[in-house]
Amino acid sequence: MSANMAVKQALKANPVPSSVDPQEVHKWLQDFTWDFKGKTAKYPTKYEMDVNTREQFKLTAKEYARMESIKEERQYGTLLDGLDRLDAGNKVHPKWGEVMKLVSNFLETGEYGAIAGSALLWDTAQSPEQRNGYLAQVIDEIRHVNQTAYVNYYYGKHYYDPAGHTNMRQLRAINPLYPGVKRAFGEGFLAGDAVESSINLQLVGEACFTNPLIVSLTEWAAANGDEITPTVFLSIETDELRHMANGYQTIVSIMNNPETMKYLQTDLDNAFWTQHKFLTPFVGVALEYGSKYKVEPWAKSWNRWVYEDWAGIWLGRLQQFGVKTPKCLPDAKKDAVWAHHDLALLALALWPLTGIRMELPDSLAMEWFEANYPGWYNHYGKIYEEWRAAGFEDPKSGFCGALWLMERGHGIFVDHASGLPFCPSLAKSSIKPRFTEYNGKRYAFAEPYGERQWLLEPERYEFQNFFEQFEGWELSDLVKAAGGVRSDGKTLIAQPHLRDTDMWTLDDLKRINLTIPDPMKILNWQPVAQ
Amino acid sequence: MSNVNAYHAGTNGKEGQDFIDDFLSEENSALPTSEAVVLALMKTEEIDAVVDEMIKPQMEDNPTIAVEDRGGYWWIKANGKIVIDCDEATELLGKKYTVYDLLVNVSTTVGRAMTLGNQFIITNELLGLETKVESVY
Repeated sequence: MSANMAVKQALKANPVPSSVDPQEVHKWLQDFTWDFKGKTAKYPTKYEMDVNTREQFKLTAKEYARMESIKEERQYGTLLDGLDRLDAGNKVHPKWGEVMKLVSNFLETGEYGAIAGSALLWDTAQSPEQRNGYLAQVIDEIRHVNQTAYVNYYYGKHYYDPAGHTNMRQLRAINPLYPGVKRAFGEGFLAGDAVESSINLQLVGEACFTNPLIVSLTEWAAANGDEITPTVFLSIETDELRHMANGYQTIVSIMNNPETMKYLQTDLDNAFWTQHKFLTPFVGVALEYGSKYKVEPWAKSWNRWVYEDWAGIWLGRLQQFGVKTPKCLPDAKKDAVWAHHDLALLALALWPLTGIRMELPDSLAMEWFEANYPGWYNHYGKIYEEWRAAGFEDPKSGFCGALWLMERGHGIFVDHASGLPFCPSLAKSSIKPRFTEYNGKRYAFAEPYGERQWLLEPERYEFQNFFEQFEGWELSDLVKAAGGVRSDGKTLIAQPHLRDTDMWTLDDLKRINLTIPDPMKILNWQPVAQ
Repeated sequence: MSNVNAYHAGTNGKEGQDFIDDFLSEENSALPTSEAVVLALMKTEEIDAVVDEMIKPQMEDNPTIAVEDRGGYWWIKANGKIVIDCDEATELLGKKYTVYDLLVNVSTTVGRAMTLGNQFIITNELLGLETKVESVY
């Protein structure tokens, strides 16, 4: 009796917890780690990563799994129930439905690259908490691969023109924009020094560019009738903020070592240029040329998310620790105004290779472009009007924008650093073309920032560009080989208009009579034999 | 006086060539330093209540808080920091609501975001550099 009373009194004084605070569990779990005197990583870094670095969200497997499963229930529940009943897939404006064939698929590549990038950081880091954050990111990125693929899958089932959503992984093999994805999201996220990968992936790619790419893009999606993308992309981004914190803690973990600043500024400058070089023009093209209804000029979104907020709140506050303005920033800002218009011109010139249906800007779009980018009409608008008059949309015309450019001396080259095409004689962005000889071969570069990265590590850029890979191919043969035809075996998936009449076929493409050239050769920029 | 953190404040309030001139000006070609933080919250029944009942009322004490409806999400910007106490949200919503439930719908942050007990905090402090991380543990 007295023993029972003692137990009751003890429990009253120290009650058994009815639940355990997950953050207490997290704190306790951090003690369960190996204590190495020296740890050798498979993916080394020139930086020293502090063993005491923190993870700001204090994740435990239980809370992480519960949180992510709620996200999945909400996302897929909405897509498979509410949006399906509302026939959401067919309420999307066709311009937007087409550009999402590229956006979601290209982002899928980024998520694949991010799996590897965060996994190698898990291997390299010394702090158990920091590794905990990287490990959760690996699982997040696998989730994101599924989500981005699901957008294409959903569109493939519910959108009225599924061709392209169903096989973009195949079609992107000939897409001249896709090498830009591989450079920024593939090579940039997972090759080289582990900390450099973190700067590319987490500090720049995620903390900076996912905000316009994944968050503000959802406004454009909704404005153009797409309720699918906001549901998925906003859910993807709920993981990104932990990845941004991972990137920040990477910086914290190396900041106390005085050797750090020998490398950090260069790695930061290079990462910013690498990610910007692809994302600034690509996102701008997707938003402004892939939409009927405009939200705001891309340059304004870039100013808000990239310059004022990311540069101001992240880099600006790090200035007291020695971080300086990236030398390329003024050129990056010029690109934010013009680079997407330069890239759109080339995408329209090369439309048969894109795997989507695109159309020239109509009069309303032209008016909007000129109002927001004064000088746009005289530079680009007049070209588009001439192309339209020459039969850009007409399958019997035999017209091709790429040929039109080349016939007028406007060569299209591939920048050997970013992998993207550029046209030096028509660019309004920060293009300063350079042609460099290395081991008996000449390479084109769009500007000195990329060239300098290549000169430091040329072995990272050993790839064949589009023109080298497909030189000598007849255009219709190339499109057919890449799976660019619909189920009738002859009508192209890509089209230069959005109608379901007058659709181009392989025969129409053959009429253009275009054999892929290597502009470095035909414009005589190869070294001349003595 | 207009809010410095408003969605269209500063350079973005200009149009056409005026915007481009200001955006590309020499003054705006160096790193800015901002005291602000940014938060994007997915619209859901819980988040809408948190924004209406917990964040908007803070605007009286902190006039730099800006809240903008961007269709699928709430865009929130403020100088200093934003704190969301999920114990308070639990009472408001009438159901258990932990900080990890909140994180289901926090779409993005610009600043240093963290959990502290059952609170979500985003601050402009450089945790671990300007401020000891232990101070928030």
